[in-house]
Amino acid sequence: MISFVVAIPIVTVFSSFFETTSNYSYILKDTFLYDYIFNSILLLAGVLILTFLIGVGCAYIVSFYKFPAVNFFKWSLILSFAVPAYIYAYSLTAFFENYGTAFSILKGVFGEKDYNSLIPKFDGMIGAIISISFSLFGYVYVLTRASFHYQSQNLIDLGKNLGFSKKKSFFKIILPSARPAIVAGLSLVAMETLSDFGSVSFFGVSTLTTGIYNAWTSFDDLALANRLSFYLLIFILGLFILENLSRKKAQYHTPVKENIKSKPLVLLTGYKSFLAFSFCFFIFLISFLFPVLQMLYWTIIFPKHFMDLNIIKLLFNTILLVVLSSLVLIFLAFVSNYGSRVSKSKLLEILTTFSISGYAIPGVILAVAFISFISWFDNNIVSLLEIKTIKPIFIGSILGLVFVYFIRFYSLACNGIKSGYLKINYSIDESSYLLGYSKLKTFTNIHLPYLKNSVLLIGILISIEIIKELPITLIMRPFNFETFATTAYIYASQDLLEAAAAPSLFLIAIASFFILVTSRYILKD
Amino acid sequence: MKKVSLFITAFLALFIGFVGISKANEVNIFSARHYDSDIQLYQKFTEKTGIKVNVVSGKDKALQKRITEEGKDCVADLYITADAGRLGAFQAKGMFQRGASSKAIKAVVPKNFRTAYWTGIAKRARIIYYSPDRVSDSDLRGMSYEDLADPKWKGKVVIRKSNNVYNQSLVASLISNNGKKATAEWAKGVVANMARDSKGNDRAQILAVAAGEADLAVANTYYLALMLSGKKGPEQQAAAKKVKPFFPNQDNRGTHMNISGGGILKHAPNKANAIKLLEFLLTKEAQQHIVNNTFEYPMIDGVRPHKLVVQMGLDFKQDLKTKVSSYGRKQADALEVMLAAKWK
Repeated sequence: MISFVVAIPIVTVFSSFFETTSNYSYILKDTFLYDYIFNSILLLAGVLILTFLIGVGCAYIVSFYKFPAVNFFKWSLILSFAVPAYIYAYSLTAFFENYGTAFSILKGVFGEKDYNSLIPKFDGMIGAIISISFSLFGYVYVLTRASFHYQSQNLIDLGKNLGFSKKKSFFKIILPSARPAIVAGLSLVAMETLSDFGSVSFFGVSTLTTGIYNAWTSFDDLALANRLSFYLLIFILGLFILENLSRKKAQYHTPVKENIKSKPLVLLTGYKSFLAFSFCFFIFLISFLFPVLQMLYWTIIFPKHFMDLNIIKLLFNTILLVVLSSLVLIFLAFVSNYGSRVSKSKLLEILTTFSISGYAIPGVILAVAFISFISWFDNNIVSLLEIKTIKPIFIGSILGLVFVYFIRFYSLACNGIKSGYLKINYSIDESSYLLGYSKLKTFTNIHLPYLKNSVLLIGILISIEIIKELPITLIMRPFNFETFATTAYIYASQDLLEAAAAPSLFLIAIASFFILVTSRYILKD
Repeated sequence: MKKVSLFITAFLALFIGFVGISKANEVNIFSARHYDSDIQLYQKFTEKTGIKVNVVSGKDKALQKRITEEGKDCVADLYITADAGRLGAFQAKGMFQRGASSKAIKAVVPKNFRTAYWTGIAKRARIIYYSPDRVSDSDLRGMSYEDLADPKWKGKVVIRKSNNVYNQSLVASLISNNGKKATAEWAKGVVANMARDSKGNDRAQILAVAAGEADLAVANTYYLALMLSGKKGPEQQAAAKKVKPFFPNQDNRGTHMNISGGGILKHAPNKANAIKLLEFLLTKEAQQHIVNNTFEYPMIDGVRPHKLVVQMGLDFKQDLKTKVSSYGRKQADALEVMLAAKWK
């Protein structure tokens, strides 16, 4: 059932193959199609490499070493999550553009001069890679760190006994055994990157997503847009299958929980300690402080925009969406994961993998596919039942919004809980059955406590994603309903990034609050 | 299990509680043009008439899709957007109904800026900006949009990307006047003259001229006024002063004009209220409010634009020959010729 709901947009998108398309497809093929594909791959490669290096690097340093402020970095590095790629893009541009913030600073310090040609311009592909990477590396960082945390110390000890150097044990033991977590993180990054429209269009990078958007907005060819997003989807599913195949039968269970020894941390001294500190601080500075300070700067210079905000209403709307959607998502992700574990059905597993695709389709296309489906369903099926239309219940309503969020973020919830589940050995289930526990009891008494942290983690991830989400909220929301994200967008689209700063700050603040409150629980053990 | 079903029921109840219940005296707007000042205007309208205004703002095509798919169940009355081409294209799909040209509207809006299905609310021109340090008056004398392809501007022109709707309308008007073939050649010439690959919004083009990256920029009129107003900070205000506006095609058809406008949707449940709102937006009071906040040109006579816009010059010849209602039909062709010229 869940898989069915999540498959709605995919089916709608797929059905586009039977519709006629305009001559845009030919124009595209003759001109930019290969550019688009090339740019998409370049963007993806750039972002994956950067997020891998930053995410795994930070996770490794804070998990295995001790140096000044390491406990601070453990949670503060997650804060980068609170900054959406589009807001990062605004900041990057505003800071480095001609006569931007960097110009003002240089002028303030060194006096009137023409600095425009001296200031590097982070735009185009590089800007897009930076914005997306720094706002998404948190996925890799969080999941990898959690996995390092539960990593079996016995293995590392074994490595030591075999005489492995630190480098060797990192590449031979630590990294490979964190692989499911790293891959889960990277695949989330990959899907968000390929479906990103906000920052690539802001930087004018022509990717497949831009092609999709052009097909739709300019040639009015939604069928072709759907078709292109379907190719995108196939590409991503291909990546998944490839990963699954390469992982083959290797299993990554930790032994029973009690066996996790707390790891002896290596105390760093001298320049090594300074290096570790600098690296973490640099990442924290670039990923979080930089955009926040830029927004803060604007809010202080232009306080009027701040006064104009209806904060309480925006806060209420934002929180409402977050709470409803994350509860629904986690509950259903649990049901489906538990189901596929208990039944060990191949079909269910395939369906679960399939349902992941919602994340890879650009948000706008997803929302539109949903609207098309509801409208088709209403016209062809509901009308037969002679009840009134169901459209207002699903389109332009909170319910509809939650529905589409669900489709979009289901993979996030599902994958997160799955990676938690992968760590619980099947033998635990079996022992539990032997002890006469029912399946439900195994779930509540054994799985649930064990997965508590994964769930918390996923809960935050989803909440933050929803706080930041833009295209779906824009098209699906009811009348007179604004969130911090939509307010920021509305100002930004008037070319008033200054006014977008205040709602952006609030958005970042709420997301940071979520992170801070929960990070204590995550870090406790 | 009981708990679960209770939970679900409670949830559904909560959801359905939030489904909007239609009220009688209201008007529902889908708007792809989202100025704060518009919202203030709607509040004024409510104070005057007692009619409540509900708004969903969003991206143009996404809103259109929602209207189309909701069909006869769509509760939106009025669709407001910037760019005549978008209005025209949506009209061609049969999504508007007649009514946007009530007597009151016909009396104040010039014929060129309205159809039976939609009407302009405010005007803007897409013009050329130049650096007075590097470009002389004699270089510009008699300059037209067509001349942007002149090789003498090689490496000196900046203009935003081909997927931008204002560019599409501009190129559509060129296709109307010169034909598709000639415009395709023109697009190649413009691309050859570009100082850099297209990027950024209109303001970024103006800044590029100020910073010396290019000599000519193409952008809408209100962007310069926005920068001059200081709303973008003192640096941009100073930068804007380094750039001068130039109104092209004064020797022939006039400068390319575009509009923000609105039309009454086919299945509007509150058509009468929607007409009232459109008429209100075209009153002197409302027009004054619009031009003061958005730096657009007023749609009706007798309203003075913002003084920064007046400073840019008002006595230019507007292109009233090319109907704004024709932009929509030619936009796809426009994008096609731009893409064929490798216009990013």
